[in-house]
Amino acid sequence: MAKKRAPLTAPPPPAAEPGPGWWRRYRREIRFLALFLLLLGAGFALVSLQWVNDHAVEPFTAGIARASGAALDLLGQHTTLQGTVIRSPRFTVNIRNGCNGVETMLIFLAAVLAFPATWRARLLGLGLGIAAIQVVNLVRVVALFLTGAYLPRLFDASHTVIWQTLVVLFGVLVWIYWANRFAADGEPAA
Amino acid sequence: MSRRPESRGARTDAPPAAPAAEPRSWVPRYLCNVLLWLLPVWAAWALATPAYNGFLLASGANLLHLTERPAVTIFHRLDADDAGVERRDFPPGRALAGSFRVTDLHFHLVLLAALFLAVPGISWRRRLENLGWAVLATVFFDIFLVFLYVKFLYATQLGTWSLAHYGALARNVYGLGKHLLDLPYKLGLPFALWAGFYLHLVGRGVSAAAAADR
Repeated sequence: MAKKRAPLTAPPPPAAEPGPGWWRRYRREIRFLALFLLLLGAGFALVSLQWVNDHAVEPFTAGIARASGAALDLLGQHTTLQGTVIRSPRFTVNIRNGCNGVETMLIFLAAVLAFPATWRARLLGLGLGIAAIQVVNLVRVVALFLTGAYLPRLFDASHTVIWQTLVVLFGVLVWIYWANRFAADGEPAA
Repeated sequence: MSRRPESRGARTDAPPAAPAAEPRSWVPRYLCNVLLWLLPVWAAWALATPAYNGFLLASGANLLHLTERPAVTIFHRLDADDAGVERRDFPPGRALAGSFRVTDLHFHLVLLAALFLAVPGISWRRRLENLGWAVLATVFFDIFLVFLYVKFLYATQLGTWSLAHYGALARNVYGLGKHLLDLPYKLGLPFALWAGFYLHLVGRGVSAAAAADR
């Protein structure tokens, strides 16, 4: 079935809606940003709770460490795992908050929930988007481990500046693709 | 017919647009542009970082001095990326209260510039104007982040001194503020600013996006 796009006409005349001009003009942006920032803050406040960290974030991070260790073993690194720590004869890394992709996942989640779309489109976006973000984060952990093992001078810059930017950028681009391709054609949720 | 909110006020008896006339989405071009912009933006950011670090430390110190009587906080550049936080009222041997990596505070500028410069179908003048406003907002955010780093350090990281000089409310406010602004809002800010300027493009074709440029 061919996808339907928004008609190529100018936005509806402002006189059709009540309220001050700036609100009429920017209400979509204001609503989105207010919801986005609220959901982002609430999400991070939630994962900062000790109980949530111990029962959800830490086991999730340990799972990332296991997957990363398996990928590194495939690349001949002979790693051993201890919780969130990956060790090899050349390098040891501890995967902590900030390296587990949770920040990007929460930014993506807040953006998907804040954007007017059907719940079906949202669930589809969340499922596929979060899986894609975690795949990229796995690449990041493996690449960082290899950087630490073979190019240790570049580790600090790679750790924060390069890979954090790339993973967040990936999340943003996935959201833009989702919002444009799937969400924009749907019936807005209340 | 699209059921997007923007189309609710459109005439329902208008003839449907011919499929051939519908331009392709701007998103594939945008994704490509973002990747192309990343390297030059990264290079520009790396070149500007030493000067920007100095500016942030000077501005952060000025902001901190507004809350100090007398003004006691001074920053020392430890190297190109790191800064030490000193208090003039501490004994000379223990004046260094802590340190932080200044460069880590503002690498989101790379993301911001790439996202803003890559938008297709928008005039260069408008793109640069929007980027300028977004950078200005980000600079204020970064200065406030320096302030929050130091207040968090004073309120929670100096043991009995922190307990004696900051109450439970202040410790919680600075702790939560640093937790939220240091990662989620720092990383989410470029996207939030992009959405503030360009959310109206989402769901439109290239020419419609250009027509909606405002």
